[in-house]
Amino acid sequence: MMQIDKPKLWRSLWCWLALAPFALIVLFPFAVMFFTAVKPPEEVFTYPARWLPSSFRWQNFADMWEAVQFGTALKNSLIISVLSTLIAIAVSVPAAYALARFPFRGKGFYRQFLLVTQMLSPILLVLGLFRLATMIPYGDGNLVDSHIGVIVSYAAFNIAFAVWMLSSYFATIPRDLEEAAWLEGCGRVRSVFKVFLPLAVPAMVVTAIFTFINAWNEFAVVYTLIRSDESKTLTVRITDLVAGRYSVEWHQVMAATLLATLPVSVLFAWLQRFLVKGLSLGAVK
Amino acid sequence: MTQTASGRPLTPWLLIIPSFMLALFIISYPLFNIVNQSVHDVSRFGLLRDFNGLENFRTVFADPVFMETVWRTLWWTLGVVGGTVLVSVPIALILHQDFYGRGIARTIVMLPWSVSLTMTAIVWRWAFNDEYGMVNVTLQKLGLISGPIHWLATADWAFPVEIGVGILVSVPFTVTIFLGGLSSVPSDIYEAARLDGASRWQQFRRLTLPLLRPFINMAVVLNVIYVFNSFPIIWVMTQGGPSNSTHILVTYLYELGFRLGRPGEAAAVSLVMLAILMCFTVLYVRMQPKESEGA
Repeated sequence: MMQIDKPKLWRSLWCWLALAPFALIVLFPFAVMFFTAVKPPEEVFTYPARWLPSSFRWQNFADMWEAVQFGTALKNSLIISVLSTLIAIAVSVPAAYALARFPFRGKGFYRQFLLVTQMLSPILLVLGLFRLATMIPYGDGNLVDSHIGVIVSYAAFNIAFAVWMLSSYFATIPRDLEEAAWLEGCGRVRSVFKVFLPLAVPAMVVTAIFTFINAWNEFAVVYTLIRSDESKTLTVRITDLVAGRYSVEWHQVMAATLLATLPVSVLFAWLQRFLVKGLSLGAVK
Repeated sequence: MTQTASGRPLTPWLLIIPSFMLALFIISYPLFNIVNQSVHDVSRFGLLRDFNGLENFRTVFADPVFMETVWRTLWWTLGVVGGTVLVSVPIALILHQDFYGRGIARTIVMLPWSVSLTMTAIVWRWAFNDEYGMVNVTLQKLGLISGPIHWLATADWAFPVEIGVGILVSVPFTVTIFLGGLSSVPSDIYEAARLDGASRWQQFRRLTLPLLRPFINMAVVLNVIYVFNSFPIIWVMTQGGPSNSTHILVTYLYELGFRLGRPGEAAAVSLVMLAILMCFTVLYVRMQPKESEGA
């Protein structure tokens, strides 16, 4: 049997006590979502209000799914986030490789350019982005209301972050491995694909997750560029339910936010240790 | 072929060009467009009319709401970033300890990150509802307040509440950076310090804090940029209301451009924000200790 570690037990108690206030605040909104989502609609607005419903009404989720067109919105969110992440990673990996492996003229300039793009957040440029989208012809009209405009701008706004993360990680991959491959008659390009990229996969995965989350959560651009209901993403669909309305169906709204949030939270809980490792690696340099 | 040309100075540029072009394309035209709109009389549909020089800027600066908004943005940024660092340092120190359930604790602390800002804002807006919101219900049950507080309908409450939500959502990212910093600190220096008789507090002041400093700096800079530009929390919770008492520059900009139909002035606000961010960046670069170029 394992000995019970007494000092560790005490330490655990103190740590949990100290974390408790913050943990409660973190969990509070999840409790609000859950208990509102399962309330019978007529109990949402009763005074005095209560935490617990008289009975759990799971039907709310099905009603909400129809009312919000949840499936369509979910699909739109996925399309936009996945595609913009793929584009961002595809253009950032070569750039990060160049930064990590070559000394070259213009390196400083490129770094400063990235810093500026990081500062120019989408919301600052949203007026101009909107005008840009109206200028580019697409289909019968222009890029307003098409996913392409949103995808390309998300990809562009994530480049700076992705290149930084990737290049600082790439710099930690020993150069010797590639050089050894050259000696064995492997060309430079082939050695990149055979030796370097396999080693870089974890960094690319972590960077992709961050980029995906950024795209999934972005609001201002998609809120401005997408007008029709069938093209809207989850965040915008759900915001529509509460913004500028006289009466809000809170049980449906909370069912929708809970359903939109839980999968990501579970994924996040699972990936959390890798994220901490990845971000700190990217942060060190 | 590229293989033999790999030593040439062209290769790195070929690798960089796709990312450079894409970012340049998405930024240069909108930026040009905003500058252009800011010096023209613009119709509410974005049609450029006469060149009017700095008229838009003059109108914006003459608007008392704008000036209040500038100050509020400053408080918002200071409040959220300062609060976040103050909360995150102790949390990171705790999470760095070895204790039972640390994995669960870390997951809980990271959880707000997984919820989009928009959803967080929607849930808190409902939770702060006057009569039916669970914040008032819980506080009343605990006997902390006697009647419901009108959180979001009162100017004095709405803004601090929003700052609180801003802190809550910024903590996970910041703690992550600090945890990375703490894990890069070699543990033997603490043992040496203990042998020299340094107290816990002295260890923190003399060792942990200085070693954490670069990470705190980085967290502050990134958070300032994010928080200064943060749109969803305020937009979803109060839309700048009641009576313009919670606007920050981004929400004010959005309202001018897309609600009130004054895109010329909105463009001017964008440029003012850009100027503020530029000043901040220059200040930051100046404050950086001279270091050799990193890899």
